[in-house]
Amino acid sequence: MQRATERLKEISRDPLRFLKATKGEKPLIGVTPGDVPHELITAAGLHPVVVFGTNEPVKFAGALMPDNTCSLAKSCLELALNQGRDLFDGFVVSQLDDTTQHLSDIWERRSVGKFFHKFLPPRQLSRPSAFEWFRKELERFKGALERFIGRRIQEADLWNAIKAYNRNRRLLAELYDLKRKKPGLLGNRLFFDIVKASFYMEKDEHSGLLEEVLEDLKGKKAVSEELIPIALAGIVVEPQGIWELFDEVGLNVVCDNLLSCSRYITSFVPEEGDPLEALTRAHFQKPNFSPIHDSPWRMIDDLVEMVKAYGAKGLIYIHLQYCESQDFDLPDIKRRMRLEGIPMLVLTTEFQTKHLSLMKTRIEAFKESVLEGKHEQ
Amino acid sequence: MNSRELGRKLTEEYLSAARNAREVGKFVAYTTAVSPVEILVAHDIIPIYPENHAVSLITKRLCSELSEAIERQGYTSHLCAYARCDLGFRETGKSPTGGIPDPDFLLACNAQCFTLVKWFEVLARRYRVPLFVFDTPQWIRDEAARRDILSYCVRQLRELISSLEELTGRPFDYDRLREVIRLSDEACRLYRKFLDMASHKPSPITIFDALIHMAIIVYLRGTPQAVLYYRTLVEEIEQKAKKGEAAVKGERFRLYWENLPIWFKFRDHFELLASYGAAILTSLYVHDWAHEFDLEKDPLVTLAENYVSGFSNVTLEERADMAYELFKRYDLNGMIMFINRSCKAVSFAVHELRDLLTQKTGIPALVFEADMGDPRFYSEAQVRTRIEAYLELLEELNR
Repeated sequence: MQRATERLKEISRDPLRFLKATKGEKPLIGVTPGDVPHELITAAGLHPVVVFGTNEPVKFAGALMPDNTCSLAKSCLELALNQGRDLFDGFVVSQLDDTTQHLSDIWERRSVGKFFHKFLPPRQLSRPSAFEWFRKELERFKGALERFIGRRIQEADLWNAIKAYNRNRRLLAELYDLKRKKPGLLGNRLFFDIVKASFYMEKDEHSGLLEEVLEDLKGKKAVSEELIPIALAGIVVEPQGIWELFDEVGLNVVCDNLLSCSRYITSFVPEEGDPLEALTRAHFQKPNFSPIHDSPWRMIDDLVEMVKAYGAKGLIYIHLQYCESQDFDLPDIKRRMRLEGIPMLVLTTEFQTKHLSLMKTRIEAFKESVLEGKHEQ
Repeated sequence: MNSRELGRKLTEEYLSAARNAREVGKFVAYTTAVSPVEILVAHDIIPIYPENHAVSLITKRLCSELSEAIERQGYTSHLCAYARCDLGFRETGKSPTGGIPDPDFLLACNAQCFTLVKWFEVLARRYRVPLFVFDTPQWIRDEAARRDILSYCVRQLRELISSLEELTGRPFDYDRLREVIRLSDEACRLYRKFLDMASHKPSPITIFDALIHMAIIVYLRGTPQAVLYYRTLVEEIEQKAKKGEAAVKGERFRLYWENLPIWFKFRDHFELLASYGAAILTSLYVHDWAHEFDLEKDPLVTLAENYVSGFSNVTLEERADMAYELFKRYDLNGMIMFINRSCKAVSFAVHELRDLLTQKTGIPALVFEADMGDPRFYSEAQVRTRIEAYLELLEELNR
């Protein structure tokens, strides 16, 4: 296990180093977080990598966007234009909201000579038209990939990719389950390092390492029953040091709706029928995601249900500064949690945030309030 | 009755009908300024535009006060000023126009922006009414993709009609829709004719006239009243143009404006620019309602084509081409690019748009950042100094 966890940690914490080392094996396609079916890219013989931004200072992207742009968008473009400029052979940018739609325009303009695809998923999921549109959009995406590689994507290759991703998701789900049932066996930082490493690695390689980790952990007992189970909501968790704060304070994340975790782990693709249809069905089973409209209540109802289903003692909401979707949601989420008697803490963060001491104090205070059954929102 | 008097009368009648809707068994739907409102009008549902109401709150300088009211509820000052004013109005009840009635139904179209969808989600929860999101994927330059996008949009319009039939319990009348689209088309073409009066030299109108007179095309399109209004307006402006009347005396600089206006600085900006002989003549924003419906097509297809292809939903390159077309049509020689904190959809790519337009026209641009509604994010001295410096630069270049 030691070897496997060290390798996964190493990749998660310095993905660029890993990607540079493996460069040349397959063309590298940077994909923005959110709803792009990586299976199609893999089936095309390309290597999809999630562009999760950079923690390096933003030098180029800042001059191309307004000041009040969310740091995830700025940071992703910075990675593409700066540190990752010579690394990627192409990009797929998913249009989820105003920021990503217009970001994709700027990004495309700055990616001359590389494969570039704007992925246009439906931004409403509540009606049959959305299902049809997603299916159509998969066909357009498949066609764009085929033009890039100069050949058709074989159905067998797509099924193989789907199976490899499903296996990876099942193993991650199993690991998450262990984390819930045996608190302390796997720290928050380590668990999310393992998940994050999956976004950079070939799925079979990641799954192999994951099996080693699981094999070792299955026979072990919980390390600490005193950890407080909490639920996590948001889009991504940045900076990554927040996971360590949870570990230090004694919180165990037992469920989440993050784009960078459960929205990936839980989207199993049915392994039967038409593969594009199967990918479409999987898309519609994902947890709710703030920018995508479903029912105005679902986003809040799902959070309450998640907290209760996993026995979480409170909810921590990671709010990215200038994320307009979250800005609109938050007051109603807080109101509902108060009604439900669910303690809630909102942590507002940005990429490149360096000082976490104040955040730690707030997390400690939150833990105390949860333990004492008192909470203010 | 001149256009201004007619506009006031039509607005009063429209608001009065909306307020009395329930008494006569009609439904009220909130919708977004760029949305296929013709479907609501054809189904005899009164459309109300919270954005328009928000503009009236901003021009009465209520934005900061209303924003602070909702900031106390946990909302942030980073949100769109329209949304902040609207939600603030709902908290405080303050409105110079007596407010707008509560909705029975919400229709949000994201071709304009996603902010509206999130804002309307808040309203859907508040009033416990259905929200229909008309999702319009970006109108990318790919003919095959455009055909699929249109099919998706048309399918959604059918879903919208089913939702409205369910709401009202009445079947939808497609013949009535054709008539409403015909009226909308006529009003939109007259509106465009009015905007194009700015191509005269000197121009009898500036963008400030366009911003005042666009209200009717937003909330009364699809009605005979809108046709009457723009016919009256066009006649008036044609008379001015024939007489050679200039909106700005000694007009020397004919400017393009990017973005929504700074609603609470209308007069100040007009006067400052006029003192340099500068007139802002147009923007893509005011042209967003200059639709051209194809009356020979399936009504849902022509609606979808028009509402998916607005300037904020096309690619950056196409948007630059659309703006460049205005430069040529109006013979413009300057541009002010406003980065509006309130409007991410329109502001996000303004730096890149500036580059593209400067490449196409050879004209330098002024870029500045502020907020369209909230004076807390507007630095008077800074904006004034920058506008003055830009106009002096244009003077130098035109010597």
